[in-house]
Amino acid sequence: MSSISSHHDAKPKHDLKIALHAIVCHESKLRGDITIGAHTIVHPRATIIAEAGPIIIGESNIIEEQAHIINRLPPGADPSSQIVMEIGNGNVFEVDCLFESTKMGDQNVLEVKSHVGREVEIKSGCIIGAACKLTGKEVLPENTVVYGRNCARRIAMDKPPIQTLQIEFLTKTLVNYHHLKKPRSANS
Amino acid sequence: MAYLVRNDIVQYACTCGQLRPISFLYFCRHCLKLRCGFCVCHEVESHYCSNCLEILPSAEARLKKNRCQACFDCPNCLNTLAVRGTTVSVRDPDDPGKVNSQKKYYHACFFCRWTTRDVGLPDQAVQTVSANGWAQKNTSNVQRITVLLEHAKLLGMLERHEREQREKKFTARFRRNFTHLPGLTAAHVRKRAGLPPELPAPSTIKVNLAEFQPAVAKETVPELPTDIFTKELDIGTVTTLTQRFAQPETQPDSIEGLLPSYKHLSTKQSQRCRECEHNVSKPELNPASIKFKIQQAAYFYVPEVRIVTLEPLIGGKPSEVVIVFINPSQHPTTLSFITLQEAEEEIKQHQTEGTTDTAVQQGEAPLSLSSLTKPVTVVEEPRPIDISMTGEVQLPAADVEIVLPPKDDAAEYDDSGEIQQFHDDPKIVIHRRANKASLRFTVVPKTDIAGENCVIGFAFRYTYVNRISTPAIATSEQKPQKVQLCTRIFMNCGKILEGTQ
Repeated sequence: MSSISSHHDAKPKHDLKIALHAIVCHESKLRGDITIGAHTIVHPRATIIAEAGPIIIGESNIIEEQAHIINRLPPGADPSSQIVMEIGNGNVFEVDCLFESTKMGDQNVLEVKSHVGREVEIKSGCIIGAACKLTGKEVLPENTVVYGRNCARRIAMDKPPIQTLQIEFLTKTLVNYHHLKKPRSANS
Repeated sequence: MAYLVRNDIVQYACTCGQLRPISFLYFCRHCLKLRCGFCVCHEVESHYCSNCLEILPSAEARLKKNRCQACFDCPNCLNTLAVRGTTVSVRDPDDPGKVNSQKKYYHACFFCRWTTRDVGLPDQAVQTVSANGWAQKNTSNVQRITVLLEHAKLLGMLERHEREQREKKFTARFRRNFTHLPGLTAAHVRKRAGLPPELPAPSTIKVNLAEFQPAVAKETVPELPTDIFTKELDIGTVTTLTQRFAQPETQPDSIEGLLPSYKHLSTKQSQRCRECEHNVSKPELNPASIKFKIQQAAYFYVPEVRIVTLEPLIGGKPSEVVIVFINPSQHPTTLSFITLQEAEEEIKQHQTEGTTDTAVQQGEAPLSLSSLTKPVTVVEEPRPIDISMTGEVQLPAADVEIVLPPKDDAAEYDDSGEIQQFHDDPKIVIHRRANKASLRFTVVPKTDIAGENCVIGFAFRYTYVNRISTPAIATSEQKPQKVQLCTRIFMNCGKILEGTQ
């Protein structure tokens, strides 16, 4: 699978920036202007699409298989406008989650099959539970936990722990079984 | 599988008149009747905790209020809590400069991420935390509740005493009858005759009752907080009704009052036919096992019916419905179709025969102690089936018999395409494979009810091989007995469409 979309003729070809120590598997699908911070893990088959503008992903994030991070153009918006998606540090995007929001803080967890809509702003330490959908327009305060069939909410005492051990483990093992995309700075 | 059989499209009429999908029915092999959850006796076999799988004897379970003493439920989302361990560094009390690391445990919910730390419960030093470690708040009502319970019991005793006094002339003779038997005390006789144990004298009950202090209404109630109308309510800190009901002792209105509650025990239940008192379902005692010692589900004995294809249903117009019949038993079965009216008459006739049979048996049997102690089986009149038919089904003639071969588990892997000769009418039987046969029926939905569901009903007779040798059969013939049974089926064939013309 080609790493950079050749279909986006309007965008420059080398707009993928991968920091040192980041692990980005070659089988991941990355389109558009994407910046990936240090120690961030992008699993094979993860999808990151910067359609409406650049996506900036911070440090020590884990983006698992089939996770979708999409910076989508809002319907009816001017295609030339630029919307920047910013993702902080230490976030976990679990299998098959869909993230379309433009702002995320640090140490959040998007559990399996969760969905965060475009107009939801996530602060820090939030957990979006498995299969929970947030599609309205809101700002999630810090340490919010969304869980259960009815998307019940509560405010937790602490933030979920950073997955340092998991990142270390993946950094060691993913290299053995997958081809990686080379770290590349923005200038090169 | 659940999708195929656990829906309400094809429903079987139980002997009691309930309509249920086949997966919800039992089949009593002794009285050869369908039984549903409403017409069997449910008996609790064992109490166990679904988290730690520990079995508790029922007396102990009752003593512990049917809760496990080792596992906890999350008070926030009612899932099971898990134990988590952390290392905490504690300053050495003897040497202030030294720091010791200590293993501490707390409970966390993996679902909603609630932890015992959220409500300020201290971490425990041992892994098997008991709630004694957490100070049980607000237990002041416990004493009062025990007093009230005791009082209610005394009142009940007094009432029973009065009732027995009234009925004494009838019961006294009964009791005297057995006292001559050796080894039988008065208490024994009461127990065997199904009577409750002897009561204390009414005078002592009355003395005990007098000790009871009734509740006193208080004039002074705690004041509402002064800022209750001015402070903005944070809905996130208010508990939901479900959370409050899960903690009936405290019923906290703020999430800070949520405490882990002991996990409810689960039960393994056995089902018993009400008429013949044989088990129709009996699970294995071991909580880790999902197997059954006895499992007489209708799914293993009664031919299963499924709709295969449907033509569009138009009011007043005949349309073709293909229905598959599956024989689940180890013996070939012969199907024939009758209308509901015929089936009902047949059932009625069967019942009158049955009642005369049992009456004769009871008359002949000697009046023994066992027959007295045995609770009398109450055979309820089956209730009429409350379903309105919105379509007519044209059945094959009653003398058309469809033979279904027995179920063969290996047939699925057998590609030899062995063709069996059944001499079917190709107009009725359109397809056959192993123990299944697809039959063609014609359904005529009623006119002027477009948009409603087309419900049809019919009955079929099937042969069942009774392999249980009751003493009566064993003496006359050893061979398995072939019986013809009848089952009523109700089918929802979907929406009736508007006629185009």
